Amino acid sequence: MDFLFILFSALALYGAVITVTHKDMVICALHLAGSMLALAGLFFILGAHFIAGVQVLVYAGAVMVLFIMVVMLFDLKRKKETLFSKGLWMKLASLFFLSGLIVGIFPFSLHLFPPRSMETIQKTSTKDLSSLLFIDYVLAFEVLGILLLLIAVGVAVLCRQRPFLQTPSEKE
Amino acid sequence: MGSDLFEVGINFIKIAFIFLLMVQMVPFLVWAERRGSAFIQNRFGPNRIGPLGLMQNLADLVKFLCKEDFLGHKGRKSFFYSAPVLSLIPAALAFGAIPLSTPIEVEAFKWLGQTWGPYTFYFQSFVISIGVVFVLGVSSLAVYSLLLAGWSSGSKFSLYGALRASAQAISYELALSLSIVGVLLLFNTFSFSEIVAAQNGPLQFYFFGEPVKLAFLPNWGIFYQPLGALLLFVALFAEANRLPFDLPEAEAELVAGYHTEYGGVKIIMFYMGEYGHMLVASALMVTFYFGGYTLWPFLTPDTLKSFFHFLSSTGQSILTALVLHLVFLIKLLFFLWIFIWVRWTLPRFRYDQLMDLGWKTLLPWALVNTVITGIGVFLMRGV
Repeated sequence: MDFLFILFSALALYGAVITVTHKDMVICALHLAGSMLALAGLFFILGAHFIAGVQVLVYAGAVMVLFIMVVMLFDLKRKKETLFSKGLWMKLASLFFLSGLIVGIFPFSLHLFPPRSMETIQKTSTKDLSSLLFIDYVLAFEVLGILLLLIAVGVAVLCRQRPFLQTPSEKE
Repeated sequence: MGSDLFEVGINFIKIAFIFLLMVQMVPFLVWAERRGSAFIQNRFGPNRIGPLGLMQNLADLVKFLCKEDFLGHKGRKSFFYSAPVLSLIPAALAFGAIPLSTPIEVEAFKWLGQTWGPYTFYFQSFVISIGVVFVLGVSSLAVYSLLLAGWSSGSKFSLYGALRASAQAISYELALSLSIVGVLLLFNTFSFSEIVAAQNGPLQFYFFGEPVKLAFLPNWGIFYQPLGALLLFVALFAEANRLPFDLPEAEAELVAGYHTEYGGVKIIMFYMGEYGHMLVASALMVTFYFGGYTLWPFLTPDTLKSFFHFLSSTGQSILTALVLHLVFLIKLLFFLWIFIWVRWTLPRFRYDQLMDLGWKTLLPWALVNTVITGIGVFLMRGV
């Protein structure tokens, strides 16, 4: 179990690092997909089989395929700016957010806080998960659904107001 | 894997057997496809090499093995060579999770001066609690091999094929998953074995609290989910990239789509992946809607065990599993034949027709099917 944990974490971290450092966007997207698959493996060894399956189905199988398709379709030649190219303010902002993440995670990793009750996480059977989603947290679930619908409608509205396809020369 | 050496060994052999079963179906299916297409189009087909042209595939294999290993100068080597292998993995994983027969129960026996405890060997590569979601998940990864193949070839036609493949896969995955929701609502489980067990018996359900029993029909999913079965079958055609949905490799427009630049053994692996997807698709249809490996009332685990009553319990179990495996294979071959039949009967869609079918026909009807099934399950539940 420990071996699998180390393997999947290493794969996830490797994929994530390549995603932000490689210059070719297609390779970045592929490594992000690999990272998602490793995350699914981590969920699986935690015993959350359903979440692992959904992670593969939704993120690796649908969302990342969409990403890769868009990357291939629109931006084949232009090289992406990587972490080490330019843009000081962006880097500072990402560093800021990253530090927030680290500050949030480290106290738990170092056992400074007592671990919270794991009962909610360990409800792994599909039935338990559905009763959590559709009974206990139904309001949050519905609100999230409406939020996602709003995003989809917003994207459609934004795309309709201007010509759908613009070549880079037309923009300038 | 198992508690001792015997169980581990048998499980390894079993995994290899099921993988080889999938791979060894391919030459047979290629032959059936060529002869079948010739039969449908009123031609002879390959009939010179061997009886009924059966050795044609062997001759093809020799040709493929002798081909030059070629990579265009704009290709990307590592991705180019890994894509054919990747096309085989999702199909093999998905096929391994589908039960092909009843579990074999082996009683404790003495061998080599040692007692080997009772075992249960499942007739599938691995048993996973979220069977249906797992199969959907790994099948959805199949499009990566097409994407990688198209992109790493460094050719326009390949790239167009890859783009079409990804757009098609995403569009039809929604319809595919939604049409399965009806089955999940009906049988109330994610496990393939439980779905098969629920279909083993006469057609019976409750209607407004009154039991209804139609003893001459088996309790198959197709009688509850005709629309869902049709939608799933169409979506599976699209996922397997078969005609009329083989836009990614439309030869009139794209030479051969994503595998334009491939030759030799690499293209054999793409074929294996494609036929593997056909196998998984047929196995899903059989398991969800046509009773899986059972054929009530003649061939069920119980009737077969009583038929083999003169054998020991282990022998009964083994023979029952083998006979039911044959039942499964016959049902599987029927659906594979439909795949071939449709391919050589219907012309290819135009791309806008493909998208319209996916988003404006299959998806709304799958939603309707889900709602109707929900109401139906509410009305048909027992007291």
